[in-house]
Amino acid sequence: MSQHEVEILKRALARERSARKQAEEILEKKSEELYLLNQKNKKAKDQLEALLKVKNSELNGFYENLVDPYIMMDLSGNAIKMNKAAEKLLAYNLSDGVLNLMKLTLPEDLDYVSNSFKILSDTGKISDFEIKIKTNASEIKLVQVNASIIYDGNNQPIAAQGILRDITLNKLYEKRLEAEKQKYSSIIANMNLGLLEVDNDDKILFVNQSFEEMCGYSSKELIGKVASSIFLREEYKEKLAIEHEKRKEGSSNSYEIQVMTKTDEIRYWLISGAPNYNLNGEITGSIGIHLDITNLKKLEKQKEELLEELAKSNESLQEYAHIVSHDLKSPLRSINALISWIKEDNLGNLDEISNQNILMIEKTLEKMELLISDVLEYSRVGADLHLDQKVNINDLLTELLQVIYVPENIHVSVENNLPIILGDKVKLEQLFQNLLSNAVKFSNKEIGEIKVGCVDVGTHFQFSVSDNGMGIEKQYFDKIFKIFQSLHKRKDSSGIGLSIVKKIVELHHGSIWLESKVGEGTIFYFTVKK
Amino acid sequence: MNTSLKILLIEDDAIEVMKFNRAVSSLNMSHKMVNADNGEEALKILEQKDRLPNIILLDLNMPKINGIEFLSILKKDPDLRHIPTVILSTSNNQKDLLECYKIGVAGYVLKPLKYEEYVSKIDKLLSYWSINQLITL
Repeated sequence: MSQHEVEILKRALARERSARKQAEEILEKKSEELYLLNQKNKKAKDQLEALLKVKNSELNGFYENLVDPYIMMDLSGNAIKMNKAAEKLLAYNLSDGVLNLMKLTLPEDLDYVSNSFKILSDTGKISDFEIKIKTNASEIKLVQVNASIIYDGNNQPIAAQGILRDITLNKLYEKRLEAEKQKYSSIIANMNLGLLEVDNDDKILFVNQSFEEMCGYSSKELIGKVASSIFLREEYKEKLAIEHEKRKEGSSNSYEIQVMTKTDEIRYWLISGAPNYNLNGEITGSIGIHLDITNLKKLEKQKEELLEELAKSNESLQEYAHIVSHDLKSPLRSINALISWIKEDNLGNLDEISNQNILMIEKTLEKMELLISDVLEYSRVGADLHLDQKVNINDLLTELLQVIYVPENIHVSVENNLPIILGDKVKLEQLFQNLLSNAVKFSNKEIGEIKVGCVDVGTHFQFSVSDNGMGIEKQYFDKIFKIFQSLHKRKDSSGIGLSIVKKIVELHHGSIWLESKVGEGTIFYFTVKK
Repeated sequence: MNTSLKILLIEDDAIEVMKFNRAVSSLNMSHKMVNADNGEEALKILEQKDRLPNIILLDLNMPKINGIEFLSILKKDPDLRHIPTVILSTSNNQKDLLECYKIGVAGYVLKPLKYEEYVSKIDKLLSYWSINQLITL
């Protein structure tokens, strides 16, 4: 091998060496770069992982703190993860063991659940899916579920997660509300009262069947129309307008109104109206309950008319009694005058019998006059009654005894402390006067004793007027109170006095009776309401 | 000596008029009496303003215009309202009494059953008015 050759080889070797060195240097550099890159990647990865961890825990916290129950399950339905709310809802803790959610469903819902599950797996999610579940505590709950499938990196489903909402109570409320609504609807539909709902412009929004029957119009004919223009005549529109104004101020009220039905019949309605509010508390119109009171109204009117007629006929009866009694008395006066003149003009020329006959005519005239006066008085007992006067019976009797004629052989004693009673003074005076003058009239003893007394018998005062006169036979006890029933034919007795007494006692809400023994005397008892 | 009165008696009953005349003459009174059978006739008599009575005696129960109606007409007439008017009536109806006094009467005398009582009442009535100063036009 020549030097040249050696030189060539040496140079080649050197080149080779240098190249290798260069390659080594490059390699070293590259490897260093690679190391750095690796370091950088690792850092990024760590960062990413840390970030993921943070996000996961954030997410965890989010679910943990979610008010609504959150559940994650694997594809066979076993719960993997549950938040507190879910544990509470299902009354179950994951630490208690494996829970297959399918077991919570009710047997009758099996098909429904599998269908829904199919929708979930086909579409990846399911919304507002309602299902009844039986919790671990054996409570049946109605829940609403919104669920979605979780996929892995290869888009393969690995799990499902769902948010539940316990709508058991909501459903219950809804049902109750519906039931209430049904209840009121059926009340409204079936009640005998007409119901009318109008808006603020009095346009009809709703009527029930009874209202249709009441007015003769169908619901179709009414809805949208102005109520007052259909039912009311002009003069009543104003009245209704006033009521509507009140309604707008928010007050409810009742009023009567005259209306025209479809057949132009006039009816009377009693309307109870109340304002209608929307959810914001604004008045949107009013609701009225209508009762047809036409018949009541007619009866009321009839009653009024009857009372008026009664008052009139009572009055004309009074007038009649007056006129008749005066027309009857006039001829008596004339006869009396004529008889007097005959007597006067023939003074000394008439024989004894004629004079006696003239005397009898005069007595008969007097009796007839008394009779007429008493009839008039009897008819007047009920007239001009003032039962609200405070009458002191002591004073009344003192005054009365000064007026009544009492012969000297008759002694009248009045008990002290007679009560003050509520009644008509004039009539009570008449009552005592009639009883006392009867006692005086029928006294037949040498010394007459008349006593007036009173006892308190609770709701009434019981008065007594007793005498030691001729007495009354028991068979006449009732008869003497009847008009014109006089037991004794006397010129000073018409037989009306006791009828008047009875009438006055009855006007004072009391009763009258008597005890008597023939020859010994009589006690009249009567009561007067306190 | 008592004044002689000009009396207008408004009374439809002939016997009542006779009673009044007989009573007045039996009392030896020198009153001048004019009788009207009813209110209408009385109003005619009262048209003669120069011959107005001093006193009017009025029966309440009369045909045509009744006593109270007549009284109302009388008391509305400015020329006649001053004449004292005494009611002679059989009615002691409180309503009538009140009505008469409200419109304005000078007295209200009930006609009694007995003629003697009647004479006595007329005596007192006329004696009373005789001693009064009366308006003569």
